[in-house]
Amino acid sequence: MPILSLQNISKSYGSVQALSGVSFEVPAGSVFGVLGPNGSGKTTLLGIVTDVLKADTGSFTLFDRTPTAGERRQIGTLLETPNFYHYLSGYKNLEISAAIKQRGKDDIARVLEICGLTQRQHSPFKTYSLGMKQRLAIAAVLLGDPDVLILDEPTNGLDPSGIAEVRELVRKLADSGKTIILASHLLDEVEKVCTHVAIIRSGKLLLSGAVNEVISRSDYVEVSAEDTNALRTLLLEYPGCTGAEIQGTIVKALFAVAPDAAAINSFCAKRGIWLSHLHVRKKSLETAFLEITNIPA
Amino acid sequence: MKQIIYTEWLKVKNYRTFWVMFILALIIIPASNFMLADRATSNNFKQVGKIFGNPFSFPEVWLTVASMNSYMSLLFGLLLIILVTNEYTYRTNRQNVIDGWERSQFVYAKLFWLVTISLLTLIVATVSGALIGLIYGDKPFSLEGYQYLLYYFLQLNVMLTIALLIGVLVKRAGLGIVLFIAYNMMLDQLLSFFLKRSVGPIGGLLPLQSGDELLPFPLVGKMVTTDTQYDTYVYVTAMLVYIAAGIYLVFRKVLKSDL
Repeated sequence: MPILSLQNISKSYGSVQALSGVSFEVPAGSVFGVLGPNGSGKTTLLGIVTDVLKADTGSFTLFDRTPTAGERRQIGTLLETPNFYHYLSGYKNLEISAAIKQRGKDDIARVLEICGLTQRQHSPFKTYSLGMKQRLAIAAVLLGDPDVLILDEPTNGLDPSGIAEVRELVRKLADSGKTIILASHLLDEVEKVCTHVAIIRSGKLLLSGAVNEVISRSDYVEVSAEDTNALRTLLLEYPGCTGAEIQGTIVKALFAVAPDAAAINSFCAKRGIWLSHLHVRKKSLETAFLEITNIPA
Repeated sequence: MKQIIYTEWLKVKNYRTFWVMFILALIIIPASNFMLADRATSNNFKQVGKIFGNPFSFPEVWLTVASMNSYMSLLFGLLLIILVTNEYTYRTNRQNVIDGWERSQFVYAKLFWLVTISLLTLIVATVSGALIGLIYGDKPFSLEGYQYLLYYFLQLNVMLTIALLIGVLVKRAGLGIVLFIAYNMMLDQLLSFFLKRSVGPIGGLLPLQSGDELLPFPLVGKMVTTDTQYDTYVYVTAMLVYIAAGIYLVFRKVLKSDL
């Protein structure tokens, strides 16, 4: 059963087409990255899913049902910015969240502790720093330990240690089997945790599915030798090599299949070129993402 | 509904601005009425009372209190505008829906305040009227003429509906308050005045004027001929239609548009 299924969602703001016919499914138990540059339509998409925005056309289901407030209560959501009553303390704001989610107050202490706000829980929200406000929003998401979480740029406003903590938290939540929909433009944020992705650019879905299926992140090899030009020419003759380029003192070689370091080393040695450096590397999600999003629409 | 009321209670429980405004508005009702009654029944004005009758005796006291209070309804409208626009300023209207309210529940939450404010005001006005009648009047307690307080109650509901509508349409406290005050203190009367002159008594059917037509100024009202007015039920129906139309527009705006 998909947790979320979108069918042909479109939305415009005046003459700006924010989303055009977006369809994809979020499988249960997945960590689903919604990726895209700033202004690509990620927040608009999640706004529609959480009923704060109305789609012009298209429909969606949550938990295989027509979505109502009941389905939203089962999801912990952080959308865009932390929205709280400025004159109330962090604790009292969470009381309101808990009341709307129809959950008891008994979980408030736990989520405040996880987010490191126990000490400041009785201070007014307006006195919180940007990072503390974001932490309180994450605490609200965790209230009642929901099985599904929607996190829109969850590390916004956090300092480096806060960012690391949130990443660790997302990883732990993912390990515990929760479904997480994570919108971000920070790819290193999602690279290690996402099992599935949807990449959006200018409101259009470029691709979606399991990370390894939809993003070709083939390994490549970095090699160097005394004569870089000769090394590049030789590598292009290696069976399965699809390209080689010189980057300073290093030659970066791409292959159609996973490269075998030992075989490459032996191949070069037999042809009289002795390698001084050999490193098999994986293409980063960021590189793959930039390649995908730079394709003209 | 119980859950909505509990949540609204949590929102205002520690909100000082709300309590200051609410208590002030509620205190002003008996305070101003008592002050006026005290002045008007002093020796200097007793002769006037002998000619026109005592406006603080039953049954006239109900009209006096209703007419006086209609000038103070504005405060309750401002309170409602603040409660509504706060949600837009803090974007908590979005968060309430994200967390698991239907959009309609957000409207019910604000309608709860409209009903609570108007009912509490009616209770305070009734108690004030009864006490003033007993203390400053010279006739025994009577509910004759109590319908004037009900007209005032209806007019207050029209005013609060306008405040709610302005709140959800304008979304910002400052502009909302300016528009609300401008409409209440000027526009409604001005439009009514011009319509009455150019078209006829239909000018008396504007939202706030409908209530004013039923709440003539005590004493003076008796001297003014009222043959250009419609029957009471016309004004009451007009006010009920305004309340229904206003609430419909609030629902329509909140249910259909982006939050």
